[in-house]
Amino acid sequence: MLIVVNLSPSMAPRIMFLIGVNVLIFQIIWMLTSWMSKLCHLRDAGHKKLVSHKEEATDMGGYFICNGMERLSRLLILQKRNYPMVFYRKSYCSRGDGFTDKAVTIRCVRDDQSSVNLRLYYLQNGSARIGFWVRMKEYLLPVDTVLKALIDTTDREIYVSLTSFYNETNKNAKGSVGTQLVGERAKIILDEQHNLSLSTRLQCLQHIGDKFRAIMHGFENESDIVVGEAVLRDYILVHLKTNPDKFNLIIFMLQKLFSFVDQTSAQENPDALQYQEVLTVGNLLSVYIKDKTSSWLERSRKLIQEELKKKNFKFDDIMHIKKIMDKNTFSIGRSMESMIQTGKLVSLSSVDLPQREGLTIPAERVNFHRFLSHFRAVHRGTAFAQMRTTTVRKLLPESWGFLCPVHTPDGTPCGLLNHMTAACRVSSFYDPEGNIKDFLKIKNIILSTLVEMGMAPLLPKIERAGPPEIFNVLLDGCIVGIIASNVVDKTVANLRQMKIHSAILDDLEIGYIPLSLAGSYPGLYLFTSPSRLVRPVRNNSITSGGVSDIELIGPFEQAYMEIKCPDGGDGGRQDFFPSTHEELHPTSMLSVIANLTPWSDHNQSPRNMYQCQMAKQTLAFGSQALKFRCDNKLYHLQTPQSPIVRTATYNKYCMDEFPSGTNAIVAVLSYTGYDMEDAMILNKSSVERGFCHAHIYQTETVDLASRGVKGDNNVEMFSRGNDKSRKSPLDSDGLPYIGQLINPQEALYSTYNLSTSRIRIKDLKSSEPAFVDSVSADGSSNTNFLNKVNVRLRRVRNPIIGDKFSSRHGQKGVCSKLWPDIDMPFSSVTGMRPDLIINPHAFPSRMTIGMLLESIAAKGGSLQGTFVDATPFARCTKDATSNSESSEIDDLGPLLASNGFNYHGTEVMYSGVFGTELVFEIFIGPVYYQRLRHMVSDKFQVRSTGIMDKITRQPIGGRKHGGGVRFGEMERDALLAHGAAYMLHDRLHTCSDYHIADVCSLCGSLLTASTIQRQKRAVREISGLPPARPSKAYTCHSCETTKGMETVAMPFVFRYLAAELAAMNVKLTLNLNKGTTKG
Amino acid sequence: MDPQPEQVAYICGDCGGENTLKPGDVIQCRECGYRILYKKRTNRIVQYEAR
Repeated sequence: MLIVVNLSPSMAPRIMFLIGVNVLIFQIIWMLTSWMSKLCHLRDAGHKKLVSHKEEATDMGGYFICNGMERLSRLLILQKRNYPMVFYRKSYCSRGDGFTDKAVTIRCVRDDQSSVNLRLYYLQNGSARIGFWVRMKEYLLPVDTVLKALIDTTDREIYVSLTSFYNETNKNAKGSVGTQLVGERAKIILDEQHNLSLSTRLQCLQHIGDKFRAIMHGFENESDIVVGEAVLRDYILVHLKTNPDKFNLIIFMLQKLFSFVDQTSAQENPDALQYQEVLTVGNLLSVYIKDKTSSWLERSRKLIQEELKKKNFKFDDIMHIKKIMDKNTFSIGRSMESMIQTGKLVSLSSVDLPQREGLTIPAERVNFHRFLSHFRAVHRGTAFAQMRTTTVRKLLPESWGFLCPVHTPDGTPCGLLNHMTAACRVSSFYDPEGNIKDFLKIKNIILSTLVEMGMAPLLPKIERAGPPEIFNVLLDGCIVGIIASNVVDKTVANLRQMKIHSAILDDLEIGYIPLSLAGSYPGLYLFTSPSRLVRPVRNNSITSGGVSDIELIGPFEQAYMEIKCPDGGDGGRQDFFPSTHEELHPTSMLSVIANLTPWSDHNQSPRNMYQCQMAKQTLAFGSQALKFRCDNKLYHLQTPQSPIVRTATYNKYCMDEFPSGTNAIVAVLSYTGYDMEDAMILNKSSVERGFCHAHIYQTETVDLASRGVKGDNNVEMFSRGNDKSRKSPLDSDGLPYIGQLINPQEALYSTYNLSTSRIRIKDLKSSEPAFVDSVSADGSSNTNFLNKVNVRLRRVRNPIIGDKFSSRHGQKGVCSKLWPDIDMPFSSVTGMRPDLIINPHAFPSRMTIGMLLESIAAKGGSLQGTFVDATPFARCTKDATSNSESSEIDDLGPLLASNGFNYHGTEVMYSGVFGTELVFEIFIGPVYYQRLRHMVSDKFQVRSTGIMDKITRQPIGGRKHGGGVRFGEMERDALLAHGAAYMLHDRLHTCSDYHIADVCSLCGSLLTASTIQRQKRAVREISGLPPARPSKAYTCHSCETTKGMETVAMPFVFRYLAAELAAMNVKLTLNLNKGTTKG
Repeated sequence: MDPQPEQVAYICGDCGGENTLKPGDVIQCRECGYRILYKKRTNRIVQYEAR
């Protein structure tokens, strides 16, 4: 069978299964293409072309569109591939008797990106076990069995290889990792093998094959040796192709494990970015395709096997086979699509991923900041969110320059959801020119260079020494040779030169772990693999002009590099450790969003974190293709402005395409008392002039074909029907007029049923009026007439009391009053009234000096008519000739003074109410303010009476259904503490589930009351007798008398409780008395 | 009262041409055959609140 993966640009990617003479037996047409992928028609389209196709001019793509939803795959942190890592885990002890908490783990990744973990456990007796996962179950093998099964070897060879890294002469020398215990451990390992009486390679393979036959599929007719070889191929160090390579790596891992046990090398922190990489979309998809394809093949195999049992089956009848294949309804394309739609991985086999849910997330377009940060976010994995320890959330120095220390949310996902820095990117299969990398070629170049530099290529079966004399050289987890420790420095320097000059090596990671006393295990680790994080730094050793000195470095090598940062002085390096590299700019440690905060180096750090959060929930210019979009909900700021004070990043990322705020004149003063506790006073006239005006666009899609019972006799279309009256609010096509205001409970559209001739009018489901912004008719459905429309409604959200605003410095506040312009304080010089008044108490404890600087700078900038650059750490990158003691205010103050304003940005002001001069000069100036999307109109909740819960008869909760706010236990405690008993009774009883129950005082039962049939009374009347005393309406069913019936007021849930208890055979008896306690 | 059903004007989403459709007509542009049509803004006076 031939599997063809057709990725022609003219159509959606498809995978075809062909047999024989190209008879198509199965194909996946995968209509899901990542927007702007290589197959997209709009890839590399210019802004004009994008606009003409009704797309966002600056859209960068990289997400999937399914069912009109934009979804993207999340970057997840994974263990660094093909690198053996040592660490403690308490849980290792529970693997079995004699296991310790120490192990070396390697995540082996094949060329097709699927991965298999392998672990070497250290045992208390000095031996080791290999652990690997087959179908989500761990299997353990003695290490020597595997070693001997891999190649034809002898006990002596294993012993010598294992002990070679210990040399008595350099016992306590720096970088010596071996100890004399290694020899004894090697003996134990070999002795264990003798007890199993497996000595030759064939015996070992047979042993493995015998044990694993049950779980390996498709080897029913093969010998044990073939099964054993398959186990080694599919589960042991799968990133290596030859058995000698695997043998060497296991020896290396054992040496590393022993040195870790003997504390001659340190443990490696699995939470540090140094030992991590990320899961990319392509990685996820290829793993999932592989999984789904294999399960499709498995099903097909079963179908054919069933068919084989029948007599008249011929293998060369291709059409017959095709017919059989058609029975296999399993669709790979559909399961891929549903994976992207739900983010859930449905797989029975062991896809080696840290989580199976939440792999894709919707790309929300609240504003451009939020949209952008979805693509830059790196998640640690959902499993860590439930962990009680905080170690995984800690900010570690290893992430410097790769993950932004500022841009992480506060609260539950703090430290787990990080964002990549602006310069950081992920290495891929593509080289800088956009061609697919030839990894074999890269490997050969590196190897030949290494040999040139003095590396001894590792031929199989060579006995070799260990550190400190020589270094092992590992290229993508394969031991390629050894290099003498005196030339390794030079080799590394040369490799770095090569890396800069050669385009195909540009993201090679040169992890050189030098000799140290009980530090990380020394070696030269080279990585060329995709999905590593890389970032650019300047290489100082490049002096020749004309050549770019930018080098891409990874987090693994960064830990052992000397990188100078302009703000960091010499970083404690002094003269004997000269720096080899230099940061491009101090702000390269920040993410795009954090980089947008002006003068963030003058703010207290948590304020910058808050700003990163708030930037992502700001109302901004929603979309340039707003007219053609039908997002469920889209926020749009009608009057945005470009900030006067901005950072270099603002221009670089063209944030002016999506401005997100307004330059408001902010006065810092305590005025009227309405600005207490982070409340702010807005100028009413400013608001009426359009300050922070915003709209919410909501699209309602109505598809009449998709709802109701399907069939010919139930066809509906949009129509107003024969209603000729001109008063109808709807147009004659049954849809609203564009620009029309629809109030709640007014008609939104009407439909006409062709068979029943019935007209149905649907009302607007909303608590507030909405404008009809656009109506588009979709004729692409099967029926040709009008039965699918998108109605976009526009809701006005102009600032009112209770709306939330914030500056770019984590200073948020709520509008408490729209103050009339005439009563606002005014400046003595310009007569200007502020747009916004905030309280001076917002500053002392929060220390957001950046905001004060912004105010002064924006004032100067607007006087001068220029934008002001507020890039953080700008001063430390300037040449040393400028006075290092100077500060931003030394530039900004004189500018104000030269324009006739106060040096410090204050102004004399007059009270708007009294017309008197205010005693103090007021700090006033323009500050860029953001309007946050939390608005009262979306949140207010009020209820007097309304819907009750069916079961408990208590008021329901939830704003959507007109429910109330819960009066909970704590509120009850407060009323109790105040002794407000009547109030308590009112809230919890009268206004809730007040109920009068009929209780039988004789048996005490709440549930036995039953109504009396009033027939007897009628009989008395007929026979002419005087009417008797009206009997009670209820009788006790069990006592069969009305005598004991009493009415008792109680909460209805109590009655419900009695019923529930009765259902569990528990009787609830009430003891009734008239307010006096019985004995 | 005219016996003819009222026509509604739509604008083609692709070519921008105007199409007037009666209820029951096929939703498709007469010029280019595009099948998404946008309704035109109403000619009626939309009274804004004047305060």
